[in-house]
Amino acid sequence: MLAELINPYYLQVASFILINIILGVSIYITLSTGQLSLANAGFMGIGAYTSALLTLNFDLPIIVGIMAGTLLAGVFGILIGIPTLRLQGVYLAIVTLGFGEVIRVIFVNWESMTKGAVGLSGIPHMGRELLNTVKDLGFDPKVLGLQNNQFVFLAIFLILLAVTVSIIAFFRRQNRSRVGRAFAAIKLDEKAAESMGINITYYKVLAFAQGAMVAGFAGALFAHVLAYISPADFAYHRAVEILIFAVFGGSEVIWGPVFGALFLTVMPEVLRFISEYRYMIYGLIIIIMMAVRPQGLIDVNILNWVKLKTSKRRQKHGTSSQKSM
Amino acid sequence: MKKQLKKFAQFTALSSLLVLSACGGNQAAGDEDGESSGGVVKADIGVISYISGPGAAYGEAITNGLKLALEEINGKGEVKINLVVEDSAGKQDQALTAAQKLMNSENVTGIIGPTLSTEMNVVGPEADLNGVPIMGTSTTAEGIPQIGDYVFRNSLPEALAIPAAIDKAIKKYDAKKVAILYGNDDVFTKSGYDTMKKAAEEKGLEILTTETFQKGQSDYNAQLTKIKGLKPDLILASALYNEGAVIMDQARKMGIDVPFVGGNGFNSPEVINIAGDAANGLIVATPWYGEKEDDKVKEFVSKYEKEYGKKPDQFAAQAYDALYIMAEALKNAGEADRDALRDALAEVKGFNGILGEFSFDEEGDVVMDPTVLIIEGGAFKEFN
Repeated sequence: MLAELINPYYLQVASFILINIILGVSIYITLSTGQLSLANAGFMGIGAYTSALLTLNFDLPIIVGIMAGTLLAGVFGILIGIPTLRLQGVYLAIVTLGFGEVIRVIFVNWESMTKGAVGLSGIPHMGRELLNTVKDLGFDPKVLGLQNNQFVFLAIFLILLAVTVSIIAFFRRQNRSRVGRAFAAIKLDEKAAESMGINITYYKVLAFAQGAMVAGFAGALFAHVLAYISPADFAYHRAVEILIFAVFGGSEVIWGPVFGALFLTVMPEVLRFISEYRYMIYGLIIIIMMAVRPQGLIDVNILNWVKLKTSKRRQKHGTSSQKSM
Repeated sequence: MKKQLKKFAQFTALSSLLVLSACGGNQAAGDEDGESSGGVVKADIGVISYISGPGAAYGEAITNGLKLALEEINGKGEVKINLVVEDSAGKQDQALTAAQKLMNSENVTGIIGPTLSTEMNVVGPEADLNGVPIMGTSTTAEGIPQIGDYVFRNSLPEALAIPAAIDKAIKKYDAKKVAILYGNDDVFTKSGYDTMKKAAEEKGLEILTTETFQKGQSDYNAQLTKIKGLKPDLILASALYNEGAVIMDQARKMGIDVPFVGGNGFNSPEVINIAGDAANGLIVATPWYGEKEDDKVKEFVSKYEKEYGKKPDQFAAQAYDALYIMAEALKNAGEADRDALRDALAEVKGFNGILGEFSFDEEGDVVMDPTVLIIEGGAFKEFN
C-alpha cells in the first residue's frame, strides 16, 4: 500500500520545491531589512562547492560538509555585508550581482580544485549514503515494503521537509522578536530607526549574513541531492530565479517567497504535457502577475483575510468538538 | 506558540497530502504496456531532450531524427516502439525529474538522452541504480559510459574524434608545433581542450602556447597576436561554432593561414555561414557526413529534408541511428524487459547505420571510425 503510493518522481519534484523554498527564504531575510541582494546564487555556490569538496576529498560525513558550507557562506555574507552597508537599492543589487559573478568565475578558473567548467561529479548522494548506513545497521527498507530507490527519495524528502519547516519556524519566531522589529523598522525608514536607537550596522549585517547562510545551506543540500554541480548552476540565471520567487510570491511576509518557490517549481512540471510551450506560459504568468499584483501574490492583507476565514471556521468546529467531548 | 505549531502541522500535513495525492494518478497507466503480444515486442522508450531554452536547436534535431526512425521502424513491424518525450530545458535538475518521471511513472523500458553531458552526469547514476538502460546520442564528454553498466552512448566521444582529426592533420601538413586555444567557461570546450592536450602530448607535438577565451567574447586579437608571433604549424581550437567562426575570421584577417583543428562543438555548417571564406582550412572529425556515397545516407537526407525542410546535422543522424540500435536490441531481447534490453544492447556489434559500422565496447562506449572533414571552398569535404 505504502510502497505503491511513493513514487520517486513526485518525491524528487518535492525535494527541489523544498530546496527552492529555502532559497526563497534566504532572499526574504535580506529583503526584510530593505536590502536587495542578488548575491544569493553566489552564496549558494560557496555552500555547494565547500560541502562537495570536503566530502569528496576528505571523506567527511555529509552533515559536516553541509555545516561547513553553511558557515563559510555566512562568513562571506559578513565580508560582503560590511563594505556594502552604504549602498542601497539598485547600487547594492549591482554590487551583489557582481560578487555572484566573481564567485562563478573563481569556480571556473580554479581548475586544480574545482575542475573548472566541467564541474564536480560523484558527490556523495544524501539518500544513497543514508541507505548504506541503515543497511550497515542491519535495517532493510524492504521491511517497510519499500524499494531501495523509494526509500532513498522518501528519506531525502523527509529530511528536507523537516529542515525547511524548522527554518521557516525559526524566521517566523525571529520576525516577532526584537530582531524582527528592528528589521522592519530599518526597512521602513533607516534614519528614523537609527534615531530610535537601533544599531543599523549590526542588524543590516546580521540580515545579510543570515541570508547568506541560508543560501549556502540550500546550496550544500542541492549538491548532495543532485550529486553533480558545475559553475553554470550558480550563474546569473539562478540569482534571477531566486529573486523571482520573492517578486512573484511577495516579499512582505515569509509565506510570499515560500509560495513563490512552490508555485514556480511546480508549474513547469505540471505544464510538462505541453512540453516546448511550458516556459512560454510560465513567462506569461509572471508578466500578468507583474501587471496585476506588483507587490506579489501574498501580502499582509491576504494573510489577514485567510486568517479571518480560518479562525471563523475554527470557532465553529471548536464549539462542536467541545460539545462532543 | 501552540497555535504556530498547529499551523506547521497543518502545513506539513497539507504538503505531504499534496505529494501523496499526486502520486495516485499515473500509477496504473504504464503497467499494461511493455508486454510482448504475438511475437512482436512492444516497448515504451523514454526520451529526454533539450526542447526549450537556448540550446533548443539540438533537442529539435534529436527529436526529429528519432521521429523519422520511429515511423520507419514501426512501419516494418518487427518491433513496436512508443516514444515518450520529455523536455529537460538543458538543466540538470529538470533532466533528473524528467528521468524520474519516465522511470517511475511511465515505466519505460529504456531511455534515449539526455542531450548534454552535464545532464547525463546527473541522470546516468540514477538510471543505473534503477536498472534502466539509458543511451546518450549527443553526450561526448569523457567518462559517460563508465558511469555504470546500464549507461551507453552512440555519440562519437571527443576521445575518438579529436585524436583522429589531429592525426590526419599531422600527416598531411607535417606539423610539429601547435598552439591551443579554448573556451574555459564551457563544459563542451573545456573537456574538448583536455582531450586535445592529451592527444597533442601523446603524438609528441610541441605545444607553443595555451590561450583561453570566454563565452560571448568578440575580440580575440590579443590571443591571436601572440599565436601569430610563435608561428605554429597548426592551431587546435576547442570552441563552439559561434565563437569559433569569429576566431577564424579574425585570424585570417590577421594573416594567420595555418589550418585549424576543431572539436565537436566546432563542427557545424554555421561556421561557413558566419566566417565565409575565412572558414577554409578548418579540420574536424565527425561521425556524420551527409554527402557520403551511401544509399542509406542519401535516403535519410532526402526524407529528412522533405519532412523538416532542412538538412540533417550530426545530432539528428545520431538520434536516428540510436533508435535503430534500440530497436535491434529489443528484437534480440525478445521482450520489453529492462535487464534483457541492457544485455542485448551490450551485445550490439557491427551494426550498420547511416553513421557507418557501429559497435559497443565492454563499457558501453563507441567503437567506430570517424570521418575527418575539412572546409574547402566554402563546403565540408572529406579530408585525406
